[in-house]
Amino acid sequence: MNSYHWSQLSPGLQHSFEVELTGAMIRSFLRLSGDNNPLHTSKTFAAQAGFRDVVAHGMLTASLYSRLVGVYLPGRYCLLHGIDVEFVGPVFSGDRLLVQGEIFHLNEAYRRIEVKASITNGGNELVSRAKIRVGLHEY
Amino acid sequence: MGEVLAALQPIFRDVLDDPNLQINRGSNAATVRGWDSLAHINLISAIEQEFSVRFALGELEELKNVGDMIDLIERKLAAK
Repeated sequence: MNSYHWSQLSPGLQHSFEVELTGAMIRSFLRLSGDNNPLHTSKTFAAQAGFRDVVAHGMLTASLYSRLVGVYLPGRYCLLHGIDVEFVGPVFSGDRLLVQGEIFHLNEAYRRIEVKASITNGGNELVSRAKIRVGLHEY
Repeated sequence: MGEVLAALQPIFRDVLDDPNLQINRGSNAATVRGWDSLAHINLISAIEQEFSVRFALGELEELKNVGDMIDLIERKLAAK
Protein backbone atom coordinates (compact mmCIF):
# COMPACT_ATOMS: atom_id res chain seq x y z
CA MET A 1 0.00 0.00 0.00
CA ASN A 2 1.26 3.46 -0.87
CA SER A 3 1.38 6.15 1.81
CA TYR A 4 1.61 9.39 -0.09
CA HIS A 5 1.64 12.52 2.01
CA TRP A 6 0.24 15.77 0.64
CA SER A 7 3.64 17.24 -0.21
CA GLN A 8 4.46 14.22 -2.34
CA LEU A 9 1.45 14.60 -4.63
CA SER A 10 1.39 16.54 -7.89
CA PRO A 11 -0.62 16.73 -11.10
CA GLY A 12 0.37 13.98 -13.49
CA LEU A 13 1.19 11.41 -10.81
CA GLN A 14 -0.13 8.06 -12.06
CA HIS A 15 -0.73 4.56 -10.80
CA SER A 16 -2.24 1.46 -12.35
CA PHE A 17 -2.88 -2.20 -11.61
CA GLU A 18 -4.38 -5.22 -13.33
CA VAL A 19 -7.20 -7.50 -12.24
CA GLU A 20 -8.79 -10.57 -13.76
CA LEU A 21 -12.54 -10.31 -13.37
CA THR A 22 -13.85 -13.77 -12.42
CA GLY A 23 -17.22 -15.44 -12.23
CA ALA A 24 -16.65 -15.83 -8.49
CA MET A 25 -16.35 -12.05 -8.19
CA ILE A 26 -19.64 -11.56 -10.01
CA ARG A 27 -21.38 -14.07 -7.74
CA SER A 28 -19.85 -12.51 -4.63
CA PHE A 29 -20.96 -9.04 -5.68
CA LEU A 30 -24.41 -10.40 -6.41
CA ARG A 31 -24.65 -11.72 -2.84
CA LEU A 32 -23.17 -8.53 -1.41
CA SER A 33 -25.36 -6.09 -3.32
CA GLY A 34 -28.50 -8.18 -3.75
CA ASP A 35 -28.58 -7.11 -7.40
CA ASN A 36 -29.74 -10.36 -9.01
CA ASN A 37 -30.87 -8.83 -12.28
CA PRO A 38 -30.76 -11.69 -14.83
CA LEU A 39 -28.28 -9.75 -16.91
CA HIS A 40 -25.79 -10.81 -14.21
CA THR A 41 -27.05 -14.38 -13.72
CA SER A 42 -28.52 -15.75 -16.96
CA LYS A 43 -26.53 -16.31 -20.13
CA THR A 44 -29.79 -16.71 -22.04
CA PHE A 45 -31.13 -13.39 -20.81
CA ALA A 46 -27.78 -11.70 -21.46
CA ALA A 47 -27.72 -13.12 -24.99
CA GLN A 48 -31.20 -11.75 -25.64
CA ALA A 49 -29.85 -8.36 -24.64
CA GLY A 50 -27.02 -8.71 -27.12
CA PHE A 51 -24.18 -9.82 -24.82
CA ARG A 52 -22.01 -12.90 -25.26
CA ASP A 53 -22.08 -13.82 -21.57
CA VAL A 54 -23.51 -12.62 -18.28
CA VAL A 55 -22.40 -9.06 -17.67
CA ALA A 56 -20.45 -8.06 -14.57
CA HIS A 57 -22.16 -5.44 -12.43
CA GLY A 58 -20.94 -1.98 -13.30
CA MET A 59 -20.58 -1.23 -9.62
CA LEU A 60 -18.34 -4.28 -9.25
CA THR A 61 -15.88 -2.82 -11.72
CA ALA A 62 -16.35 0.61 -10.13
CA SER A 63 -15.25 -0.90 -6.82
CA LEU A 64 -11.81 -1.16 -8.40
CA TYR A 65 -11.67 2.63 -8.27
CA SER A 66 -11.89 2.25 -4.50
CA ARG A 67 -8.76 0.10 -4.64
CA LEU A 68 -7.06 2.59 -6.96
CA VAL A 69 -7.31 5.45 -4.48
CA GLY A 70 -7.39 3.49 -1.22
CA VAL A 71 -4.28 1.47 -2.00
CA TYR A 72 -2.33 3.38 -4.65
CA LEU A 73 -3.26 7.02 -5.17
CA PRO A 74 -2.78 8.29 -2.49
CA GLY A 75 -3.13 5.04 -0.52
CA ARG A 76 -3.11 4.94 3.27
CA TYR A 77 -4.38 8.46 3.94
CA CYS A 78 -7.18 8.35 1.37
CA LEU A 79 -10.60 9.64 2.29
CA LEU A 80 -12.92 9.08 -0.66
CA HIS A 81 -15.18 12.09 -1.24
CA GLY A 82 -16.93 11.07 -4.43
CA ILE A 83 -16.83 9.45 -7.83
CA ASP A 84 -18.44 10.31 -11.14
CA VAL A 85 -18.38 7.10 -13.13
CA GLU A 86 -19.63 6.00 -16.52
CA PHE A 87 -19.87 2.45 -17.81
CA VAL A 88 -18.84 2.59 -21.42
CA GLY A 89 -18.73 -1.11 -22.28
CA PRO A 90 -19.60 -4.51 -20.81
CA VAL A 91 -17.23 -6.58 -18.67
CA PHE A 92 -17.35 -10.38 -18.65
CA SER A 93 -15.91 -13.16 -16.55
CA GLY A 94 -12.32 -13.77 -17.61
CA ASP A 95 -11.68 -10.20 -18.73
CA ARG A 96 -8.27 -8.87 -17.80
CA LEU A 97 -8.81 -5.32 -16.63
CA LEU A 98 -6.30 -2.50 -16.44
CA VAL A 99 -7.24 0.15 -13.89
CA GLN A 100 -5.41 3.47 -14.30
CA GLY A 101 -5.55 6.81 -12.53
CA GLU A 102 -3.79 10.16 -12.80
CA ILE A 103 -4.03 13.23 -10.60
CA PHE A 104 -5.27 16.20 -12.60
CA HIS A 105 -5.99 18.73 -9.87
CA LEU A 106 -4.88 19.46 -6.31
CA ASN A 107 -6.90 21.74 -4.06
CA GLU A 108 -4.39 23.03 -1.53
CA ALA A 109 -6.90 24.72 0.76
CA TYR A 110 -8.82 21.56 1.57
CA ARG A 111 -6.07 19.05 0.77
CA ARG A 112 -8.13 17.33 -1.86
CA ILE A 113 -6.96 15.67 -5.07
CA GLU A 114 -8.94 14.85 -8.19
CA VAL A 115 -8.08 11.78 -10.21
CA LYS A 116 -9.02 10.97 -13.78
CA ALA A 117 -9.37 7.20 -13.99
CA SER A 118 -10.27 4.52 -16.48
CA ILE A 119 -10.66 0.78 -16.84
CA THR A 120 -9.79 -0.99 -20.09
CA ASN A 121 -10.15 -4.67 -20.95
CA GLY A 122 -7.61 -7.03 -22.47
CA GLY A 123 -8.53 -5.79 -25.92
CA ASN A 124 -7.59 -2.27 -24.83
CA GLU A 125 -11.24 -1.26 -25.06
CA LEU A 126 -12.45 1.34 -22.60
CA VAL A 127 -15.11 -0.16 -20.33
CA SER A 128 -15.35 2.55 -17.68
CA ARG A 129 -14.13 6.05 -16.94
CA ALA A 130 -14.35 8.09 -13.78
CA LYS A 131 -13.41 11.28 -12.02
CA ILE A 132 -12.57 10.61 -8.39
CA ARG A 133 -12.41 13.18 -5.59
CA VAL A 134 -10.16 12.22 -2.70
CA GLY A 135 -9.26 13.98 0.52
CA LEU A 136 -6.20 13.22 2.62
CA HIS A 137 -6.93 12.76 6.30
CA GLU A 138 -3.28 12.95 7.37
CA TYR A 139 -0.51 14.95 5.81
CA MET B 1 -24.56 40.10 -14.87
CA GLY B 2 -20.80 40.39 -14.41
CA GLU B 3 -18.48 38.09 -16.30
CA VAL B 4 -17.32 36.19 -13.24
CA LEU B 5 -20.85 35.73 -11.93
CA ALA B 6 -21.93 34.50 -15.37
CA ALA B 7 -19.11 31.96 -15.34
CA LEU B 8 -19.95 30.85 -11.82
CA GLN B 9 -23.61 30.20 -12.63
CA PRO B 10 -23.09 26.94 -14.60
CA ILE B 11 -20.51 25.74 -12.07
CA PHE B 12 -22.99 26.08 -9.22
CA ARG B 13 -25.73 24.44 -11.28
CA ASP B 14 -23.48 21.52 -12.15
CA VAL B 15 -21.94 20.96 -8.72
CA LEU B 16 -25.23 21.39 -6.85
CA ASP B 17 -27.12 19.44 -9.52
CA ASP B 18 -29.81 22.08 -9.93
CA PRO B 19 -30.28 23.22 -13.55
CA ASN B 20 -32.62 26.01 -12.49
CA LEU B 21 -30.43 27.46 -9.76
CA GLN B 22 -29.96 31.23 -9.92
CA ILE B 23 -27.17 32.63 -7.81
CA ASN B 24 -26.42 36.27 -7.11
CA ARG B 25 -23.87 38.19 -5.10
CA GLY B 26 -25.83 37.65 -1.91
CA SER B 27 -26.13 33.88 -2.27
CA ASN B 28 -24.47 31.81 0.44
CA ALA B 29 -24.58 28.34 1.95
CA ALA B 30 -27.61 29.25 4.03
CA THR B 31 -29.69 30.39 1.07
CA VAL B 32 -28.71 27.85 -1.59
CA ARG B 33 -30.10 24.35 -1.22
CA GLY B 34 -27.46 21.61 -1.21
CA TRP B 35 -24.51 23.91 -0.49
CA ASP B 36 -23.09 21.75 2.29
CA SER B 37 -19.47 21.34 3.35
CA LEU B 38 -18.62 18.70 0.74
CA ALA B 39 -20.39 20.65 -2.00
CA HIS B 40 -18.37 23.68 -0.93
CA ILE B 41 -15.11 21.80 -1.52
CA ASN B 42 -16.44 20.67 -4.89
CA LEU B 43 -17.35 24.25 -5.77
CA ILE B 44 -13.96 25.63 -4.79
CA SER B 45 -12.15 22.94 -6.74
CA ALA B 46 -14.30 23.53 -9.83
CA ILE B 47 -13.81 27.30 -9.58
CA GLU B 48 -10.04 26.89 -9.30
CA GLN B 49 -10.03 24.84 -12.48
CA GLU B 50 -12.39 27.17 -14.37
CA PHE B 51 -10.37 30.31 -13.66
CA SER B 52 -6.93 28.70 -13.29
CA VAL B 53 -6.49 30.24 -9.86
CA ARG B 54 -5.58 28.82 -6.46
CA PHE B 55 -7.14 29.74 -3.13
CA ALA B 56 -5.55 29.66 0.29
CA LEU B 57 -7.61 28.36 3.18
CA GLY B 58 -7.42 31.74 4.91
CA GLU B 59 -8.89 33.47 1.88
CA LEU B 60 -11.78 31.05 1.74
CA GLU B 61 -12.55 31.34 5.43
CA GLU B 62 -13.18 35.08 4.99
CA LEU B 63 -15.83 34.62 2.30
CA LYS B 64 -19.39 35.35 3.36
CA ASN B 65 -21.21 35.00 0.08
CA VAL B 66 -20.88 34.66 -3.69
CA GLY B 67 -20.13 38.38 -3.97
CA ASP B 68 -17.03 37.98 -1.80
CA MET B 69 -16.01 35.01 -3.96
CA ILE B 70 -16.41 37.09 -7.12
CA ASP B 71 -14.29 39.88 -5.66
CA LEU B 72 -11.58 37.40 -4.67
CA ILE B 73 -11.55 35.81 -8.12
CA GLU B 74 -11.34 39.22 -9.81
CA ARG B 75 -8.39 40.19 -7.59
CA LYS B 76 -6.59 36.99 -8.50
CA LEU B 77 -7.29 37.41 -12.19
CA ALA B 78 -6.08 41.01 -12.11
CA ALA B 79 -2.86 39.91 -10.40
CA LYS B 80 -2.01 37.41 -13.14
